[in-house]
Amino acid sequence: MALFELPEWAALAPTFVLAATSLALLVIDSIDPDSTNRPMLAGTATTGALLALAVTGWYLVAGVGDPNGRGIVSLFGTAQVDGTVFGGQLVVDQMSLLFTFIFASVTAMVTVASYDYLRGHSYQAEYYSLVMLAATGMSLMASAASLATVFVSFELLSLSSYALVAFLKKNRGSVEAGLKYFLIGALSSAVFVYGISLVYAVTGSLQLAAVAQAAAGTELVGVLGLGVILVLGGIAFKTAVVPFHFWAPEAYEGAPAPISAFLSSASKAAGFVVAFRVFTLAFPFETFLDLGVDWVLAVQILAVVTMTLGNFAAATQTEVKRMLAYSSVGHAGYALIGLAAITGSNSEIVLGAGMMHLVVYGFMNTGAFLFVALVEYWDVGRTFEDYNGLATRAPVASLAMTVFMFSLAGLPPFGGFASKYILFMGAVNAGFWWLAAVGAVNSALSLYYYSRVVKALWFEDPSDDVGKVGIANQPVGLYAAILFAAVATVALLPAFGPVSDTAVSAASSLLP
Amino acid sequence: MFEYAPAIALLPFVSFLVALSVGNYMPKKGAFAGIVAMGGSLLLSVWAFLRVSGGEVYNAPDLYTWVAAEEITLQFGILIDPLSAMMLIIVSLVSLLVHVFSLGYMNDEGETGLPRYYAELGLFSFSMLAFVYASNLLMAFMFFELVGLCSYLLIGFWFRTESAASAAKKAFLVTRFGDYFFLIGVVGIIATFGTAQFAGEGSFPVLAEHALVGGEGSIDTFLGLGEQAWVTVLGLLVLGGVIGKSAQFPLHTWLPDAMEGPTTVSALIHAATMVAAGVYLVARMFGFYALSPTALGIIAFVGGFTALFAATMGVVKDDIKRVLAYSTISQYGYMMLGLGAGGFVAGSFHLMNHAFFKALLFLGSGSVIILMHHEQDMWKMGGLKDKAPVTYYTFLAGSLALAGIIPFSGFWSKDEILFEALHYGLGNQPLLLGAYAMGLIAVFFTGFYTFRMVFLTFHGEPRSDDARDPHPVGWSVKIPLVVLGLLATFIGFVNMVPVAELLNADIEFLHQWLDGPEETITSVHHYEELLHNENAAHYVASDIGPYLPGALSLALALAGAGLAHKLYNVPDPEPHTEKLGSIRTLLKHNYYQDEYQVWLAEGVTQPIARAANKFDQTVVDGAVNGISSVSLGSGQRVKRIQTGIVTNYAALLTLGLVALLVVVGLYGGWFV
Repeated sequence: MALFELPEWAALAPTFVLAATSLALLVIDSIDPDSTNRPMLAGTATTGALLALAVTGWYLVAGVGDPNGRGIVSLFGTAQVDGTVFGGQLVVDQMSLLFTFIFASVTAMVTVASYDYLRGHSYQAEYYSLVMLAATGMSLMASAASLATVFVSFELLSLSSYALVAFLKKNRGSVEAGLKYFLIGALSSAVFVYGISLVYAVTGSLQLAAVAQAAAGTELVGVLGLGVILVLGGIAFKTAVVPFHFWAPEAYEGAPAPISAFLSSASKAAGFVVAFRVFTLAFPFETFLDLGVDWVLAVQILAVVTMTLGNFAAATQTEVKRMLAYSSVGHAGYALIGLAAITGSNSEIVLGAGMMHLVVYGFMNTGAFLFVALVEYWDVGRTFEDYNGLATRAPVASLAMTVFMFSLAGLPPFGGFASKYILFMGAVNAGFWWLAAVGAVNSALSLYYYSRVVKALWFEDPSDDVGKVGIANQPVGLYAAILFAAVATVALLPAFGPVSDTAVSAASSLLP
Repeated sequence: MFEYAPAIALLPFVSFLVALSVGNYMPKKGAFAGIVAMGGSLLLSVWAFLRVSGGEVYNAPDLYTWVAAEEITLQFGILIDPLSAMMLIIVSLVSLLVHVFSLGYMNDEGETGLPRYYAELGLFSFSMLAFVYASNLLMAFMFFELVGLCSYLLIGFWFRTESAASAAKKAFLVTRFGDYFFLIGVVGIIATFGTAQFAGEGSFPVLAEHALVGGEGSIDTFLGLGEQAWVTVLGLLVLGGVIGKSAQFPLHTWLPDAMEGPTTVSALIHAATMVAAGVYLVARMFGFYALSPTALGIIAFVGGFTALFAATMGVVKDDIKRVLAYSTISQYGYMMLGLGAGGFVAGSFHLMNHAFFKALLFLGSGSVIILMHHEQDMWKMGGLKDKAPVTYYTFLAGSLALAGIIPFSGFWSKDEILFEALHYGLGNQPLLLGAYAMGLIAVFFTGFYTFRMVFLTFHGEPRSDDARDPHPVGWSVKIPLVVLGLLATFIGFVNMVPVAELLNADIEFLHQWLDGPEETITSVHHYEELLHNENAAHYVASDIGPYLPGALSLALALAGAGLAHKLYNVPDPEPHTEKLGSIRTLLKHNYYQDEYQVWLAEGVTQPIARAANKFDQTVVDGAVNGISSVSLGSGQRVKRIQTGIVTNYAALLTLGLVALLVVVGLYGGWFV
């Protein structure tokens, strides 16, 4: 059909584009180390992200990675267990493309927004280069088909993230947050890699499907189980799941707000794509439940604890950014339902619903953090009270923030409603009504703190600080990114069909 | 070519949007937008009417699906059969004439807020037209509610006067009370039949009919009721909405107060939209009601009672619009009586006649109000006959039709209704005889209060300065009056049953029209079969001729009119009703209906509500507040875990991981 067939490695084109953009930015930096040419730097980064986005979108439409379309692409060698041949180190399927789509969208929004946010900061080229490097890491995580590539891409993302969080070098909060993130991250990486080593010790393989094959019938259940739980712990760090979440509120609060958006949306989704792939391919629940390694139970515990703790903590915050940080912990709990309810008869719907939620979340959560970035840019203040009456000065942005808040709470007519609805319905149909009930109660609680923001924006009288916000001072980049996120959040409800089709199809190709 | 059918309702909606957005900048503040839109709707309705008479029934139940589930789909669709085609013309014509009349009544009188007025008229017409050709009960319910909302807005048009605001609220709340039952009925019908569609194979009347009459299939009943009993329950639940909207006893109390709205609005509400919606709904799903003799009997009895009850109250009213208000309640009682007595044609016939003569009477009274410089008390009028001949003669035509005097339209339909009631009453439905008796007595009162109103208003000597020097009315007032006057006089000729019988001629045109070009489940022929079927309503007719009952009701109407003539058609009439003493007080207070309903609200409902509120405030809110303080409190504690010290985090992280390992390990039996 196509005019010419692309070579197989071209399936990784989005990753290559992101990596190349990062390198291009480094080249620019080495030519002109003190460049403050913001349009060029932000423009290069955004072009790269949008190009990756376009290629991903094209691949998704063209059926790359679709078992019924052009087929799943497996790259870089093969693995063998007992004569059975498995795929290579990387794989490009619908799930990897769907998540790359999220990463590229979020990256594009973040780089556009950073154009304004970084005004007056030095080392801008490094900033964009690190963002693109992190994005490269994420898209590799989406494609990683072996525990080795998982870990390497994981670290690529992590190391870039630490630097990005600490980017505001003269800001104590930013540096402190970066250090804490790094320390907790180092601990978690140790846990993760130890887990991997134990799994390797039992199965003798790192390729995910080969691990599953070799694990069946093993007698070293305790060692294997320990490894599985440690791997889960490592991933839980990246997705900010309780009790690995401690870094999240501080890192999100201290980091530049666009980076908070980037970490809480894209980086979290990257953690989830690894979780989805590793736990379905390497540790399939049928085999592992028979062995006595009930990681589903562990995920259920983590989901309930995470939802509850995240939302309860969010309810008592006085600062909007910190509230959003905890709410993003809570949302990790919702997305975990995708794995926690996998043992039902409709596992592809549940797993797909987890992916759908992450797609929608990528837009609404990024948008919300970018609104915080906008407020920080105006220097209005950080608490709920400081937001009072912002709508009188910035109605469009406030409207967008209202959309994000209601969508995060799961109200119609926004995308967050559809994904949460399908997720909870899927859990109920799988027989895990109590998971859905915990989720629903937490959603109700979340409405309380989300609507506090809306109330402050629209119904409270403006304070003096708000009065000083100059209407003339409307940063184009931040506004563009926020409006794009808002439009996407709204449009995802009517356009939910294609998203859910892709997600369910991606999920069913992971499941046996 | 029914593709344009949606435009019938959408045109007024466009005029609503236009009047709302740019009405202030238009000449006549949006009136022309409304007139053009209603003219367009009327033309399209006439064209739809012609298509239907050409033998096409348009039933498109699935124009737009807004909920598609596995078992139930909810859709918007259009059903244009003879009944709805007739009603479309009535609604669009009356609405058009009301728009034209408003030029004289609202614009020329210098009212403010006119864009809002015309926008609401447009929305009102849109809702009613869409209700009329709704293809399913749920869609009908939605537009039924919109009609209610619009009448709330229009009754409260002069919302700055306290009485108007209060009347609007009353209309809204009282009809809403009925609509609760309607909503439950809709849900019940969808739950029972899986569809709410009115016509076509697989519609709920057909499914019910198959189960009850044909014995094919069965319906899921609830509460342990039999199939026919369950159909009756569903029918009566929907009837709740009808009783509210069509102002039947005991939910009629909102309607007289609704006179606080502009008179043009009253004309629209009473003749073609709000109040008509209730009775129209019964006619729409007549095939369902015809399955249950109980439901039909209740409809007939409520109708007969309301007809008499309201007519007696109309006797003592002094405000011209109030008299008309009670006459409306009474006339809709007749329609209910007709439908309940199995007279689908009779009820629909009266619905049509009434639409024209009541619109005429209200617009006529609007003209009188202009003449009288906004005085509505009939005792301050008198002698307007010679000063406003157009108003007088058209009003007289309307009054003759209302009183049911041959050959004006009201006579033919009222006679047919009473005949149907007697006809089956003597057959095997003795309950109908009671309803018939009440309807018959009401004829006398109708004749009396109608002509009392005519004589007090137009005859005798002028009794005030305003009456001596009336304000002139313009063409925009006169044209609608003349059109409606002609219709009120002649429209009855389309279905002269006694004459047809007498001449043995085939001139029951309305009957033939409603029978439709071919036999469908909404044609009269089918309804009559159902009515006589022993598994459905099982009505048996007696062989009584139409002449004697017709002569009797005509005599009573004439007697009432004659009494009014004797008492009030004198140069200087006296308030004779004051001689009625305590009965007058009772009637003046409308049988204390308002008082007992207020007592119900204040004496019964309010204490219950207070108790519920107390419960809510203490127990429920206590629990909720307790939970929220628990969650906020535990939130605070959660916050305290976040100490800010990174070694604590590392420790907690490790402890959490160990705990998780222990739980999963114990569960998986790793340690044995």
